[in-house]
Amino acid sequence: MQVRVKLLGTLPSSYRGIYPPEGLILGVPAKTTISGLVDMLGIPREQVALVTINGLLAKADDPAVENAVIKMMQHLAGG
Amino acid sequence: MQFLRINMTDLTIRTETADKYTNLGGRALTSTFIAEEVPAQCDPLGTENKLIFAPGYFTGTSLVNTGRLSVGAKSPLTGTIKESNVGGTVAFSLARLGIGAVIIEGQSTAGPYFLEIDRDGSARLTEAGEYKGMRTYALVDALRQIHGDRKSITCIGPAGDMQLLAASIQSTDLDGRPCRAAGRGGLGAVMGAKGLKAIIVDRSGAVETVCAEPEPFRKAAKAYAKAVKADEFSGKILPEFGTAVLAEAINSAGAFPTRNARTGQFEEIEKISGETMAELIKSRGGQTTHKGCSQCIIDCSNVFVDKQGQYVTSSLEYETIWSMGGMIGNGDLDNIARLDFLCDDIGLDTMSTGVAIGVAMDAGYRQFGDGAAAIELVEEVAKGSDIGRVIGNGPDAVGRHFNHDRVPTVKGQSIAAYDPRAIQGMAVTYATSTMGADHTAGWVVAQNLEAFGGTIDPLGAEGQVELSRNAQIHMAAVDSAGICDFAQSGLATPEGMENVCRMFQAKSGRPFTQQDWTELGQQVMKTERKFNREAGFTAKNDRLPKMFYTEPLAPYNAVVQVGDEEMDSTFDY
Repeated sequence: MQVRVKLLGTLPSSYRGIYPPEGLILGVPAKTTISGLVDMLGIPREQVALVTINGLLAKADDPAVENAVIKMMQHLAGG
Repeated sequence: MQFLRINMTDLTIRTETADKYTNLGGRALTSTFIAEEVPAQCDPLGTENKLIFAPGYFTGTSLVNTGRLSVGAKSPLTGTIKESNVGGTVAFSLARLGIGAVIIEGQSTAGPYFLEIDRDGSARLTEAGEYKGMRTYALVDALRQIHGDRKSITCIGPAGDMQLLAASIQSTDLDGRPCRAAGRGGLGAVMGAKGLKAIIVDRSGAVETVCAEPEPFRKAAKAYAKAVKADEFSGKILPEFGTAVLAEAINSAGAFPTRNARTGQFEEIEKISGETMAELIKSRGGQTTHKGCSQCIIDCSNVFVDKQGQYVTSSLEYETIWSMGGMIGNGDLDNIARLDFLCDDIGLDTMSTGVAIGVAMDAGYRQFGDGAAAIELVEEVAKGSDIGRVIGNGPDAVGRHFNHDRVPTVKGQSIAAYDPRAIQGMAVTYATSTMGADHTAGWVVAQNLEAFGGTIDPLGAEGQVELSRNAQIHMAAVDSAGICDFAQSGLATPEGMENVCRMFQAKSGRPFTQQDWTELGQQVMKTERKFNREAGFTAKNDRLPKMFYTEPLAPYNAVVQVGDEEMDSTFDY
């Protein structure tokens, strides 16, 4: 199945390939989990803190779904 | 430590030594002082209120990212005690003159005046009548012509002169621009009520901050700086994107209050995200990495420029991108930058002002998304027109004016860029903070949203009170130390915390443990809560507005789950 992955903040620099500004269009096996997807991208898991699937927060074990837009973000700090 | 006590009624200046406050700085000092010297039920804009400016405990030392100034008073916006925090150059300048606090008391009937503090620490009041009503950028330019470049200027604009409740106190950054704001709580109105237009501080001070054990302090400070640099967020992300990097993340989590908090996601977020802003600034020749404050090694500031590469504002921050963006349905980053500049120039809190406009739009006064109308409304504030004064007095005033009850404030102060329904820990912080809805008082966003690893359910009540309580206590200590919010990476680990304790011990010459750190924060909170109780506040005031309990927020259709009894247990310690 196909998903679009958008890497935010400084995560594009952690992707092992060339990251296009519009995001990555990836073909992945059905039931690929978020943590599996992070591994596929070659990004250290500890760098990814927040993931959404189609605008909803996702956990590490949640599966990606067909044509999903998946956004990955690094750790947050602020105030 | 020396205090300068400025009486605006009889225009006298006294220098005092204040031994009993020796180990206090920043918020601990301002709040202790206000609690001791200001009658809790006084008129915040009257003669009995006092305005105190205090550098943090570590400000002026070699410790990085400690150029923070606490500004304290009884707030005219909330009626509570208030500490508003600002960076720039003023705190470091005061500390290097050996000045631990500047206390403004009384009230001038003839003012306004400038308070000038020279390189030897001496001070005088000079007449500033011709500058009344002047905007901050013009004022700073005029003062630079007179005093030269080596001054730190802390001032009010027309909003403060008019004593409007959303008025900020603006302070100059390292480039000499009045773009750093003590925005919250309407303390600019207190400064205006005192009859003080600006404080002009010489930046050439060289007084060594007293330190009992210099070498251990130096070693610990060096280790702290190393930790701040090594941290991914403070060392890499903030310098590249600034705080605006939060926009996409918070919006993705459904916690970005949009169109006066009618939804939690803004469909135009990609137009105003930190990533988009950084690209835009770079393409136009502005600065995405910029040093705004003394002693800073993070450089999270930016310089936003227009299509011709001309300066528009500095620094465009996440909270303003939200308040002038999503909150009013505005997806035009150039318009948001212009609004940010105008607020700095007129001397207005960008958050209270943006939310005030959002409430007006929600009431049907203007259309959501009309950025040009937002600019017109902010300009009306400077003019002092009827509608301008309504906007300039903040969201509650707007709600009253339009008889509109969807007003996202607590104790009169607007929420910030985190919807409490989608991040329930922020519901606790907004409701129970001693300062009204104040996100910096107990920022628990990361613990709620970093769900990839699984931390706490952001939509549930469980664990949120304890989380907010601990964050509020911790932040009271951070604000007292004078450490920048974004440099907390230096104390985020147990080793980092030990390091900070080592610096407290080395500076004071007295043992200081992590327990002392917690007790410092607790004591500040107790002092502030006691003042608020004496001012008439009860547990019933520690509540969010009805809209957050009754209107489900898309996309999770969440309402605040934390009950009243749980809210009331926040400070059971």
